[in-house]
Amino acid sequence: MTDPMTDPYRQLGVPETADDETIRAAYLAAIRACPPERDRQRFEQVRAAFEAIATEPLRVAHALFDTSAPTAHDVLDVLSAGWQPARPTEAALYRLLGAADAQR
Amino acid sequence: MSRNKKQKPSPAAPRVVPGGIDSAALAEAALGASRFKDAIEHFKGLLKRERRPAWLQGLATAYAGRAEQLAAKDMIREALALWRTRSEACGVPLLGAPYVAWLLKDGQLEQALGLLAAAERLPPAAQAEAYNQLAAAVLVAPEALLSGLSSDSPMLRQRAAARAALAACVRGDEAALAEALQAISFHSPYRDLRPLLKALVLQASDPQAAAAALARVPDKGPFEALAQALRVSLMPGREWLAALRQLDAAGRALVLDLKGCPPSQRALVLDLMSRLESSAPATELFELVLRQHRVIGEGAARQLCLRLLPHVPQRLDAFRASFVPLTAAEQARVLALAAELKRQPGQAETHWLRLVQLLRATPDTKPRAALVLRRLADQHAHHRPDGELCTHAQNWLGQSLELDPADRATHLRLIRDARKSGDLKQARARLEAAHKLFPDDAPLLLEAVEIALAAGAFKKAAGLAKHVLALDPIDPRVRTTVVQAHLAHARKQLVAKNLPAARRELDEAENWLRSGSERGLLKLLQGLAAASADAGDALLREALVELGGPCVGVFHLLLEGERAKLVPEDLLRRAGADLSTTPSAAEVLALAHALDKLPERDPALHAALNPLRDRLERAAGMLHLSEGEHLQVCEALHRHRESELTRQFAVAALARWPKRLVFVYLEAAARFGAQPWLMPEREWKRLDDLLDQARDAGDHRTAARLGQLLDASDGGPFDEDMSDDDGDEDEEADFGPDDLRAMLDMMLNVGGEDSLIEMARKQLGKAAVEQMRREVGGSKKKLAEALLKMLMMPTELGPRPPKPVVVGPRKPPARTPMPRAQNQPNLFED
Repeated sequence: MTDPMTDPYRQLGVPETADDETIRAAYLAAIRACPPERDRQRFEQVRAAFEAIATEPLRVAHALFDTSAPTAHDVLDVLSAGWQPARPTEAALYRLLGAADAQR
Repeated sequence: MSRNKKQKPSPAAPRVVPGGIDSAALAEAALGASRFKDAIEHFKGLLKRERRPAWLQGLATAYAGRAEQLAAKDMIREALALWRTRSEACGVPLLGAPYVAWLLKDGQLEQALGLLAAAERLPPAAQAEAYNQLAAAVLVAPEALLSGLSSDSPMLRQRAAARAALAACVRGDEAALAEALQAISFHSPYRDLRPLLKALVLQASDPQAAAAALARVPDKGPFEALAQALRVSLMPGREWLAALRQLDAAGRALVLDLKGCPPSQRALVLDLMSRLESSAPATELFELVLRQHRVIGEGAARQLCLRLLPHVPQRLDAFRASFVPLTAAEQARVLALAAELKRQPGQAETHWLRLVQLLRATPDTKPRAALVLRRLADQHAHHRPDGELCTHAQNWLGQSLELDPADRATHLRLIRDARKSGDLKQARARLEAAHKLFPDDAPLLLEAVEIALAAGAFKKAAGLAKHVLALDPIDPRVRTTVVQAHLAHARKQLVAKNLPAARRELDEAENWLRSGSERGLLKLLQGLAAASADAGDALLREALVELGGPCVGVFHLLLEGERAKLVPEDLLRRAGADLSTTPSAAEVLALAHALDKLPERDPALHAALNPLRDRLERAAGMLHLSEGEHLQVCEALHRHRESELTRQFAVAALARWPKRLVFVYLEAAARFGAQPWLMPEREWKRLDDLLDQARDAGDHRTAARLGQLLDASDGGPFDEDMSDDDGDEDEEADFGPDDLRAMLDMMLNVGGEDSLIEMARKQLGKAAVEQMRREVGGSKKKLAEALLKMLMMPTELGPRPPKPVVVGPRKPPARTPMPRAQNQPNLFED
C-alpha cells in the first residue's frame, strides 16, 4: 500500500489522551499481531507510531511539530471508527448473487 | 524513411510464417505469454490450412483467455460475445465455467436459465458441473422462470432450503439457519452455501472461525461473488478498505453492510477508496474533507483539516469559514510549520516565537513554550559544527529553563556549551543553578569534574570524580576521568618541577587504572618524575614498548616532554628511541588511535609530531594499508590539521582507490583547507562535479564536506570543526559603511565597472539600473559612480544596502543544502 495511515494514535488504536502504559500495551499487542517476519511493513509502521508517542514529552512534541499530512487512509479510518458490524439485507445478498431487484 | 529504420510489425496482425511448424510455435508462444489476441490470429491462420484438433483446442483456449481478459476489465458484454464465437468456431459447449457468471453479472438471468435445457441433455458428470454453474441463477430466479423444470430436478429439490437459509441468515435466526443448511446435501449444487453462510454469520463475532469456514469453499464456485465479498470483509486491520476495489458494486455494498457503514457515508468511502493507491495531494484531500465535513463529523473533520493546513496554508480562510476558528496559538503553529515546509526558516522562526509568547502566558502551556524554544535552539545548533550553540540558541535554551526548569538535559547542554567555549564562569554559574535542582545527579557532577579539569583544578576534579563514583560505581567514564584528573595534576607538578608531588599524583592515578594504554602513559610520566635518572630511563624505555611501539611511544614521549617543557633530544636519548626505521602499518594505526583520543588544537601535538614527520611521509608511500585503515589515518591527521601528512596519505590512497570521493575530499582539504581562496577554477569545477557524484551516490557526508570546502573557496567559512563567530546575522551586524566602501572599491579594482553594474542589476533589478544608465547619459563610468553613491547612502534613509557580492571570475552553480551525514560516519565517532 503506498499511502499508509500517518496518525500514530490511530496506528496503535489508542485515544489521544492515552498514557504511557496504555500506549505501550497497545504497541505490544500490535507487534504480537504482526511480528516482523509476518508483515515487515506493518511492523515498521507500528514501531514508528510507538516511537512517536511513547512518552509524554514525545506526545507534546508530536502535537506541536508533526507535519505528516493525513492520507485517504486516515480519513477512512476516522469514518470507520464509529461503525458497528451489521447483517446485510436479503435484497443485498440476492443482488450480489445475480438477481435484479425486480426478479426476486 | 531512413534505410536504417525498420517497420515495426503491427501487434494486431501477427506475421503468419508460410511453414506451419514455425507458425504453430508462434501461436503456442503467444498463448504461453497470455497474448491471446495474437494467439487467436495465429491459430486462425493455421486452421485455414488444416483443421488439426490441437490447433482447434489452442484457438478455444486463446478465445477463453481473451474473454477472461475482457471480463476483468468489466467488458462483460464483449466477453460474452467472444465466448459465443468460441463455441461456434471451435465446436465447444457454450456452458463453461465463467459464462453463466457473466450472464448473471450482466443481468441476463433468463438467458442463463435458458441453458438449463441444454444441461439436461448432457452426460451425468457434465450435467452435475452445469448445474453447479447454474445454481446461483436458479437460486435467485423468480418462480415463473423455473416453471419449465421438472419437479424432481436436482436444481429445484433443495432450492427452498437454500432460500430459507439465506432468509434465516439475514434475520440472525441461527436455529432456522442450522436447520435449513442441514437440509442441503453434500451433492447439492447449493452445497457451498453451507460454509459461506456460516462464515457470513461468524465474520463479525469470530473472524478466525469464519475464515476457516471460508477456506472450505472451492474457488470459482457458483457463489464466488459472495465468497469474494466475505474474503474482503475478513481481511485484517484496514486492508479490506483497499481491497474493496476488487469487488463490483454489489460486492462493495455487501461488505459495507457487514461493516456497518451508514448509507450517508458510502459515497465518501468509495471516493476515498479510489484515492488510496495514488497518494492524493494535500490540497485535494483538504477540499474533500472540507466538502464532506458534516458526513465525517465536525470535530474529526476539523482535526484532519488542521493537520493538512501546514501543507495548504493558502486555505486558512476556507478553514475559518467552515470550522470553529483557529486559536491564535493554532494559527501561529500552522504558519510556522507551513514556513518550515516551504524552507523559509526566518519566517518559521518568527511564527514559532509568536507561539512561544502565546504559550508562556498560561502556566499549563509553559512546558510547551519551553519545548518550542528548545527546538529552535536545536535547529540553530544543527547548522554549527559539533552542535555548538550560537547566542540565539543559548538565549532560547536559557528562556526554556525559566519556563521548564526541570529539564535536566537542557541544563547539561548549556553547561557543556559554556565549558567547551571556554566560558568557565558561566559554566559554573549554570552548574550551580542546576545542582540546586538535582543535588546528587551523576551527569551533573561529572560536568563539575570536567569544569574543574578545564580550570586546571585537578585536585578538586579528582575529589568530585570520586564523589560521582560513589553515586554511580559502574560508570567507566568516571574512573577514566579520575585517572585523567590525577595525570593532569601530575603534569602540572612536572612543569612546576615539583617531582615528589607529581609522583604522589601518579601513585594515586595508578590505583584507578584499568586500560593498558593508560598504564603505558602512567609509566612514561613516572619516568619523567622519577627520583633517579637510571630508574627514570628504564621506566621510559618500558613505557615506549607498552604504548604500542617506537612510533606512537616516541610521539607520547615528545608530547609529554613538550607539555613539561623538557628538551626533546634529551628525552629521545634517555628512552633509547630509534628514529631511523620506517614505521610499520600497525605503528601508524596505533598513532592514528592516539591522535584520535587527543583534543584538537593542542599546540604540543604538532611539536611532538615534528621529529616523526619524515618517517611518516616515507611510510605513506610505502605501507600497504587497507582502505578503511587509510581512511582512519587520514581522518586522524585531518582532524588535527596535519595538512601535509593528510595529503600524503590521501594521495597514496587515491593511487589505489581513485574513485573513493572521501579521499578526494581529504586530499583537496589538505591542500586548500587553510587557504581556500587559492583554489583554482579548474579545481573548483572538478570538486563541484565530484560533489554531485557524491550526492548521487548517497554519500551525503562527503558531499556536505565538499560543499563546505567549495563554499569556503567562494568566501564562506570553511569550518568543519571550528567556528568562533555567531553566525551570519552577527557577521552582517559587523559589516559597517567603511567595510562596504572597501568592498566596493575592491570590486571595482578586481572586476571593473562591469562587476559593479552586474551586482547592481542583481540587487536592484535590470529596469532600475537601465533607468539610471539613461539618466547619466549612457556612460558606464558615470553609472558606476552613481551606483557607488547610492549604495553608500546613509542607512537612516532606508534599509541598509545589501552586502555586496563580489562578482569574481567564477560563478558557482547553486547548491541545495546538504542533509546531515548518514551513510558514512566518521570512523572515530562513537
